[in-house]
Amino acid sequence: MPIFDQGYQHWSGHLSGRAWRWLAVTRQGIRGGLKNRFLRYVLFAAWVPALALVLMLCMWGLLERRSSLASTFMQYYMALLQPGVVADPQHYRADIWRLSYGYFLEIELRFSMVLILLVGPNLISQDLRFNALPLYFSRPLRRIDYFLGKLGVILAFLGMVVIVPSIVAYVLGLLFSLDITIIRDTFGILLASVAYGLILTFSAGMLILALSALSRSSRYVALCWVGIWLVSGIVATVLQAVDSQQRRYVYYNKMTVARPNGRDFDNLSRAERDKQWRAYRQARERAAEEYRVAELGFSAHDWRPLVSYTENLSRLGQQLLGTDQTWKRLSLLDPDQDARDQLLATYMGPQYPWYWSAGVLTGLFGLSACVLNLSVKSLDRLK
Amino acid sequence: MCSEPFGKIAGPAEVRPIVAFHEVSKWYGNVIGLNKLTIRIPAGVTGLLGPNGAGKSTLLQLATGQLYPSQGTVHVLGQPVWNNPSLNRRIGLCPEQDAFYEWMTGWDFVYTSARLGGLGRADARDATGRTLDAVGMTRHKGRAIRGYSKGMRQRIKMAQALVHGPHVLFLDEPLAGTDPLARRALMDIIQRLGSEGKSVVVSSHVLHEVQSLTPNIILLNRGRLLAEGQVRQIRDLIDKHPHHIVLVCDGSRKLASRLVGWEDVEGIRMLPGGKALMVETRSPDAFYGRLPQLSLEDGTEIKEVYSDDDNLEAVFKYLVNK
Amino acid sequence: MNSAPALAQIEHSSAGRGLSLTALWTLYTFSLRQHRHGKRWIIMAVLMLLPAGLALLVRNTAHDVPGVALEFIFGFMLIPQALLPLVALIYASGIIQDEQEEQTITYLLIRPIPKWALYTMKLLATLTVAVGLTVVFTSLTYAVIYWGADSHGQNVLLRCLKASSIHATAVIAYCCLFGLMSLLARRILIVGILYIAIFEGLFANLAFGVRLLTVIYYTRLIAYRTLPFIVSTPFGKQDFAAEAWQLDVRTDPKLLEHPQFGTCLTVLFVGSLVLTALAAFLCSRREFYVKTAEKA
Repeated sequence: MPIFDQGYQHWSGHLSGRAWRWLAVTRQGIRGGLKNRFLRYVLFAAWVPALALVLMLCMWGLLERRSSLASTFMQYYMALLQPGVVADPQHYRADIWRLSYGYFLEIELRFSMVLILLVGPNLISQDLRFNALPLYFSRPLRRIDYFLGKLGVILAFLGMVVIVPSIVAYVLGLLFSLDITIIRDTFGILLASVAYGLILTFSAGMLILALSALSRSSRYVALCWVGIWLVSGIVATVLQAVDSQQRRYVYYNKMTVARPNGRDFDNLSRAERDKQWRAYRQARERAAEEYRVAELGFSAHDWRPLVSYTENLSRLGQQLLGTDQTWKRLSLLDPDQDARDQLLATYMGPQYPWYWSAGVLTGLFGLSACVLNLSVKSLDRLK
Repeated sequence: MCSEPFGKIAGPAEVRPIVAFHEVSKWYGNVIGLNKLTIRIPAGVTGLLGPNGAGKSTLLQLATGQLYPSQGTVHVLGQPVWNNPSLNRRIGLCPEQDAFYEWMTGWDFVYTSARLGGLGRADARDATGRTLDAVGMTRHKGRAIRGYSKGMRQRIKMAQALVHGPHVLFLDEPLAGTDPLARRALMDIIQRLGSEGKSVVVSSHVLHEVQSLTPNIILLNRGRLLAEGQVRQIRDLIDKHPHHIVLVCDGSRKLASRLVGWEDVEGIRMLPGGKALMVETRSPDAFYGRLPQLSLEDGTEIKEVYSDDDNLEAVFKYLVNK
Repeated sequence: MNSAPALAQIEHSSAGRGLSLTALWTLYTFSLRQHRHGKRWIIMAVLMLLPAGLALLVRNTAHDVPGVALEFIFGFMLIPQALLPLVALIYASGIIQDEQEEQTITYLLIRPIPKWALYTMKLLATLTVAVGLTVVFTSLTYAVIYWGADSHGQNVLLRCLKASSIHATAVIAYCCLFGLMSLLARRILIVGILYIAIFEGLFANLAFGVRLLTVIYYTRLIAYRTLPFIVSTPFGKQDFAAEAWQLDVRTDPKLLEHPQFGTCLTVLFVGSLVLTALAAFLCSRREFYVKTAEKA
């Protein structure tokens, strides 16, 4: 036939497999998200801590090689760290890497919350608002593909600011160190940071998807996310503040009750008064010591940080990276016990068991999955 | 003297336009909504037509003061519209979007609209009752709007536009999404409004229904005025396209052989079935005048004569697709 | 449909060019009714019940903490720092934007109500609701903290009244601020949250002039000057407010280097009026795109 039909033509090619259908949803979500200029600015800003991490690791590598380039930073390190650490950088390499990654992931956790606030609320709520779900499920797309696709959007954006910079910083740190033993010392840190990134993505991703599935208005979803992120943190801080006051007032009460005074006291003999004063001072010292020990040890049983969503994620990150052990090791460089306690109290995070946080996050994950399952129905059950 | 390509029929000088656009342009960033539009809409019912993106909604939003023209001036009832809220007492708008305060009942919505229009309690009550009756929603006034059908929603929208007794009504796609019964009811309302002396501008895609409402139309395309006036007169002015007249008869080929000799016949096409033919002519009136004589002379029985394109749809197609 | 009577011209009593008080009052009451509907009030109730709920929890677990300390932590840390700005943001950001998103703003724009009056009435309704909620939940928090507890000679009712007034003043200022922001920024929620976190959360704690631009700074000063948060301890008097808000009462016990009570009140009220006037002016000049393309 010399004349060809210009009308509709059936596709006779090979259809992609079921396993990758979620990718189409993810690609569309990423494209939509990147149209937001504000999001692009935040992504750009989120890479600044990554640059700082890269700089830190590279400079430490140069320091290990006693490079003249690192000499400028020697003073900076000397101000921050114990001289013993700077004097033997190879021995403390893993510790410094751990702490650097620890701070980096803490900062990126905050950026991640902002990114999710920008990207997350629209993911499912827009589809509900504009009745796009029938369009999705009238294709050969299962609900699981839809959810994975939407989760993939979160994974893409959080991966860009947490996982990818962690890997890039690791590789550059290796290159600047030029010591093969560094892989043995630090590979666990890379695995831990990638694992943390994945936990953050899946936990926060499922949570925002569940919230997004509950409302057709992305504004309310965003507000709920702010509630989970900010308000839960403030509530945890408030509860901790109250608890701190409670411990303090228990101590004050002990101090108040023990004080010897009154006419009966004045009528006693000198020896008796001295004895009572000694007992009072000993009671005060005991109370002070109990208070000091309680202040150091309360963190191991304090459940209040569990109320804060970001605190739970931080606790898991802390556990994966092993930053607590690092601080304990570094504190041993100080001969003074009080100074060591002070350092640990300042820099170590909450000390409650990490599996409490894991339980909270797992519970939230399960709840999110239930909400998604109930809120987003397949085509035959859509209104 | 206007410079529109097809001209318009000028009315008497003392007839003031209800709506006057003078060299109005409106753009949104790089997108031009209206492009140097100059029109004068007279009193009565006027149809506003155009394909998607023609600028109809932009025109209505400019006329009701919701948008400010990037260039030019807009006057309604002789007054500038922008930031002139007192003019809204005499204007009513039935917007296109299907958006309501869903939690309100029909009565509540119309009553609140009346009160927002400045009516006192008693006046608003009376006006609401009367308006709901006029649009046929008295029976459903106590139900929440979220439970209304599409036709009911359109009628309630119409009611809120009418309740304060405006002089001018702008109806943006009032028949959209309605079933035939509801559409008929709404058209009856519009026709009655016209007969009561209100000026109504109806924007619609439903060409044959607009044609049955009013012969006065304004055609827009791509933000520009395409034509303005009565359908027939616009059709007559479209010199480029000859009229198509269909003749139904048994001896169509014999008739065709006679017609081909007429000077004003530009073309003849035999229609499928062999019982009809279509004649193209630029002088339809003259053609109609000579046709009975031909039939008598020839003895050919012409069973039916009608014009294939003497309607709004044909005018629309010619003008938009040129 | 029956053969309906003609729609006679309405000769209404308020015909003319002036502002219709009827229309304004109707808009105000209508906006109040709008706030009752929708899910927003549920979120508000949950947020505002938080301090009272937490206070109830800690009363059972922290018996030794004096009421004044709890009052400070819940009433003057949690509520004004976190809850009031969020409540104001949720309500005030939707004054116009909610109507635009729902595409119902057309019904208001085509009424004989100037746009500046439209904004003002809706803001007034928002303030009524926000202040009402604030007063109710502040009082509830005080009731939970002090019910059946030793008030140590404090006049709880007076303190509650003062706290409610201070919170009401703060929420009015926040509402006016976020109402203006909602006309300037499309993504008001993000901008608002960043404002709360950075401006009110961070800058307010810096001893620089920038804190003079924050609402929380003036709120704190008003609270400090009207409500003492001092508790006796075995080591002397503990001033919660001075410690938490970094007010140097040792060198400047009367806080003479900080604005006085009257100045703070004036700044907050005049500031609110100015922000409202500015927003009303912007609203009167603005176009509201409902169906046609939004400006880039």
